Order: sequence, then C-alpha cells, then structure tokens
Amino acid sequence: MLKPGTAIAMSKVGKRYTKYDDTPMLLTSALHFRPRTRRGRLWALRGVDLEVYEGESFGVIGRNGSGKSTALGLMAGITAPTEGSVAVRGRVAPLIQVGVGFHKELTGRENIYVNGTILGLSRREIDRKLDDIIAFAEIDDFLDTPVKFYSSGMYVRLGFAVAIHVEPDILLIDEVLAVGDYAFQMKCHERMGLVRQSGTTVVVVSHNLGVIRKMCERVLLLDKGSPKFLGAPADAIAKFHETMEQSEEPDVDMTTGKPLERGVLAIQSLEVIGPDGQGTGHLEAGSDARITVVARVLKPMDDLVVGIAIFSQNGTCVYTDSSLGKPLGPVLAGELFRCTVALKATLPTGSYTVVSSIWRPDMKARLAESRHVTFFVNGRSTVGGVSDLGGSFSLDPCSEPSGPADPEAL
Amino acid sequence: MGEVSSTAPTGSFEGRSYLELTGESTSPARLARSVWASRGLLAILARKEFQVRYRRASFGLLWAVGLPLVQALVMALVFSKVAHIHGAPHYVVFVLSGLVGWTFFSTAISSGSTAVVDNSELSSRIYFPRALLALVSVASNLYGFVVTLVIVIVLCPILNVGLGASIWLVIPASLLMVGLATTFSLVASALQVYFRDIRYIVSAAVIVWFYVTPIIYPSSAVPGKLRLAVQLNPVTEVVALFHAATVGGSITGLPLVSSLVWLAVLAVLAVYLQCRYDRVFADLL
Repeated sequence: MLKPGTAIAMSKVGKRYTKYDDTPMLLTSALHFRPRTRRGRLWALRGVDLEVYEGESFGVIGRNGSGKSTALGLMAGITAPTEGSVAVRGRVAPLIQVGVGFHKELTGRENIYVNGTILGLSRREIDRKLDDIIAFAEIDDFLDTPVKFYSSGMYVRLGFAVAIHVEPDILLIDEVLAVGDYAFQMKCHERMGLVRQSGTTVVVVSHNLGVIRKMCERVLLLDKGSPKFLGAPADAIAKFHETMEQSEEPDVDMTTGKPLERGVLAIQSLEVIGPDGQGTGHLEAGSDARITVVARVLKPMDDLVVGIAIFSQNGTCVYTDSSLGKPLGPVLAGELFRCTVALKATLPTGSYTVVSSIWRPDMKARLAESRHVTFFVNGRSTVGGVSDLGGSFSLDPCSEPSGPADPEAL
Repeated sequence: MGEVSSTAPTGSFEGRSYLELTGESTSPARLARSVWASRGLLAILARKEFQVRYRRASFGLLWAVGLPLVQALVMALVFSKVAHIHGAPHYVVFVLSGLVGWTFFSTAISSGSTAVVDNSELSSRIYFPRALLALVSVASNLYGFVVTLVIVIVLCPILNVGLGASIWLVIPASLLMVGLATTFSLVASALQVYFRDIRYIVSAAVIVWFYVTPIIYPSSAVPGKLRLAVQLNPVTEVVALFHAATVGGSITGLPLVSSLVWLAVLAVLAVYLQCRYDRVFADLL
C-alpha cells in the first residue's frame, strides 16, 4: 500500500463526526429502547487523497473548522477514518500540545520520563538524552522541582525540549511552534531546521502562513473538509486568500457576543484601497491606505456606528477602531452609503484580515458584519512584532554623561 | 491493503513502525500487540499515578497501606464488640484478610471505570491503546494491595493465627481479584465514554456490593434465600479464598466456577468493547 519513499498515504479518507444533542444517558436510552437521536452528522474531512514523501516538510492550511486538525489526528492514529485508509510508516511523534501528560506535582525530571515515554521513547533512550533535554530547556536549577512551581515559559520550554528530542521518523506539529519567548522560538525554529535536515518527515498544521511559507515544500489547502489545492506554498497561500474572500460567513467573532439584528442593513463590500486609489491586496509598509465599506440600508435609522478590526495571520487582533462618538447622520431605507477609513499601514510583513461591523449608535446590537478581506503588507525588513512604530536608529559618539549617574547603570 | 497490512503491527511505540487504519474498529490481535508494545508506557503511567496520589501528604505512601488497615481494624472492632457478629474464629484477621482483597477491588474499579474519560487530555492528543488507561488504573492500585497483603500476613502470627500451607491460596486469590478488577474496569471505562452515569452507578454499586459480599461476615451466616445471590456474586469466593488463606475455611468448588465464568464473560466483553471503540473514543471525549 505504501510505496517506497512515502511516509504517509491517505486514500479516499473521510471522517464523519456525529454530534449528539444531549449527553447520552444509560437510563434514558435503556428505558426507551430506541437509538439515540443522531442529529448533526458532519463530515469533518472527505475525499482526501495524498502522499507525504519521506523527508518532506508538508504543510496543511485552511480556516478554522476546515479539517486541518482532523487530518493531523488521523495521521497520528488518534482517531480512525470513517472511510478510506490511512497508512503511516515509521515512528510518529504528534506534537499537538507541548507537555502531554505532564503532572504538576511531579518534578521536571520525572515529567521528562513520563512525557518522553508517552511520545514513544524507551527508558534507556531518555537516560541517554536527558542531559541534552535539560540543556535545551534551560531548567538545570529546577530539574528536581515540581513543575507547578515553573513559570509558564519554563513549562513550555521543557515540553518542547522533550518533544524535539524524540527524533521520530515523522513529526506532526499543530501550532505548537508559537510557544515561549522570542529567543526560545528562534531556538525552536533553528532546531526544527536541523530536524528537517536530518531527514525527518514533518507535517505542520498552522494558521501562521509565514511559518508555512518558510518551512514547507508542499502545502495542502483544506476548505470545509475538502482538499482545495495541493502544491507549492506560495500558490497554496494565494488560493487560501481566495477562499477567505469568497466566504460569506464571518470566521472570527470579533464581537462581545452581542446579538446580530438582521434585516436592517446589508454590507455590500469591503475594500482595501492603496495610495493610488485602486483596490488592492498588497500594501507597502507605512503607505496611506483606505478601507471602504459600502452598505445598503433596509430600514431607516437616525445614526449608526461603523467599526473595523484587523487581525494578523496568527489571529492576533492588531487594531480595532470605530466611528463611535462621531455621528454619521441618518440614513434612509433603500439608500447605499459608503464609510471610508483612512489609515497608515504601519505594520510588519505579513498577511492580515480586515473585517467591518455596523452597530446601532448605542452599541447594543450589531446590524451587519462584513466578510473578511485579506491583504498583505510588505513591511520593512528589520521590523518584527505586531506593529511598526517607525523607529529610526542612529549611532553617535558622545561624552561621559553630564547628569547624575544612573544607578541602574552601575 | 493486501500484503503490507497483514504484516503490520500497530502503534508508534518502541520502534514498531507501521500503522494502517481502514475502519473504526481494531482486531483483538492488533489490540493485544499494541498493548504489549506499550508496556513501558503502562509501567511509567502506573507509577506516576501512584506517586502523584500521595506526593503531597506528609506520610506519603504510608497512607496507601494505612487507610485499609485503619478501616479493617475499625470494622473488626465494631462488628465483633458492638454488633456481636460471631461464627468466625479470629475475627480481626478474618476481616483484615477479606478487606485487603475487597479494598483493592473496589478502589481499582472505581478509578478504572472512569480511566478513559478522566485521561481525555492524554488520549485526544496521542494514540496508544485506550485499554491501557484502565490497566494503568488497576496497576497503580497494585502497589498498595501487595504491601497491605504482606502486612496482614506478617500480622497473622502476632494476632495468634498460625499460618499453614493454605497461605499460598493468596496467590490464586490475588490473581483472580486482579483479573476481575481489570476486566470490570475495561468494560466500565469503555461504557463510561458513552454513558456518563456509569461513574455514579459504580460508586453506588460498590457500597451495596460490600454488604452482599461475605467480607465482614462468614458466608455461612447468609440465610438460605439470599445464599444464591451471594454465590452469584463474582467476588464472593475470591474473598473466601483470602479468608481460607489466613484463618482457614472450606472452599466449595461450585461458586469458584461462578467467579471464573464471570471473569470469562467480562473478558470477552472487555475485548469486544475495547476493540470496537479503541480508535473512536477520542471523538467522544
């Protein structure tokens, strides 16, 4: 079934979940002698045919609920396919969360053994790798302290250190690279590079398109459980943006759970306009851009509030703003209106999504939410983080400080 | 599937290197192989569970032994001095030896029946045979069981009970008890995934079960009408074996057969349920 050179083969794979309306209970089902109502059958994944080659770095992308994690769960053998077959060759280490099986009362050393065994290492292998793991995690002084006294950073470092030392044939990663502080993340990425060079097959599921672009040789795009594209990362990411734009259902709930009042307004379009006045999906860092929202009024209103929110590719909200406090004036039924937001694209490189919502002036009810529109910012090459504050660096010779000495400097 | 899957074991442990999934159930042979391949994991998880249970207590592991002994002594005192149960010589040792087996059984099935659900954090993130979780629960109770058993045996001469060759009966008795606890836990832990009431049913059953098992009273004290019910109880004769090993007593063949039949039925049910649902438990947690 598995051809030589293939690490993972999925053939006509489908996974169906059944959502039960209520928690099944022994007594009720036994007394009624009827099968439980099986409502809400859902194909989380269907018609997936793919081969991951040995030594390849393979990415899976898609929106929330597109079946990415289900695909990874199937490769890891956590769950079985409803139809089709999954074949995997070699030792698999799923890194779906760091520190699986960690117990807070156990010491770092004890947890290394538990977690390492869970990930498939034998006791002897762990004995051999213990020093490397401790060094990588930077927890020498806390090795025999229960992990409940660890900072969250130490905890994550320890979990990752064990996982990265498993040296499996196939490493399955679900988002976990986004752990720890920046320095540790760099260390993890560096180590991941080594892992890939050593011939380990790596499958990554991530929202972070930057990581996917950097790490993967081939990328599978999933949309609503079906494969939409399989190929080079750049092409897959482009296709991903297309599916995001075609989708009408809002993906991220940016609101505070306030009700959506339908039939008052309908947002017709949301566009990102570049400095040249043309609609675009690509902005240069710091350029003047506009976001325009066009909506049709279905019921007349005295006033309204327009809000926008911009998310980075890993789901972080980088900016929200609204017209609250600046009355836009009454609108008539049947009328079209346009709201324009002028702003500067002071952002680091990356893909962003923008979404707009329109509210009643008292912010009690949401009237409409736009679809998500994705745009790319070509940031300044030196900038990282979530926002480009436009720093400029200079270096000048100077004399001894003339003021009182800074005690911190001593 | 053809040639490859026939040679394929399963799992991702200890260098076992091929996994093929085509349906939602697992064959018994494959399940057995993957449980065997995961024995290292079983050992370390059982030790972890045992360690964690007593880690923060000042007397630590002493509690694993102390609690059943305290319970046994109180029962022996109450029922011999206050309730005046007679008919069993060396009543304190009688109660102690019966309780050792029973305490292991009841704690093992109480934690074992919820093992799959309680460890959902683990099983939704990595594959290992889910049967392992019930086995871990039972195994983690073994430490306390063995130590209390040894203590009771040591106490016997102190309490004026001479030990004969019959003491070796504790070995078949312990094996039977472990077998019953294991199969019962495997069945209940699988059902618990679907029917969350199982947890409470088991808790309630354990309370009733204690009194319908001749642990603190001899089976000869059971009135005729109830005798059949007591004999059908799978642990009755196992406890009687523990009694026989210390204070002596007769073992009748027929009820022991009932324990073995129970064991066989539970084992078949356990294998069926674990095979059928092994790969889909994670979907329901």
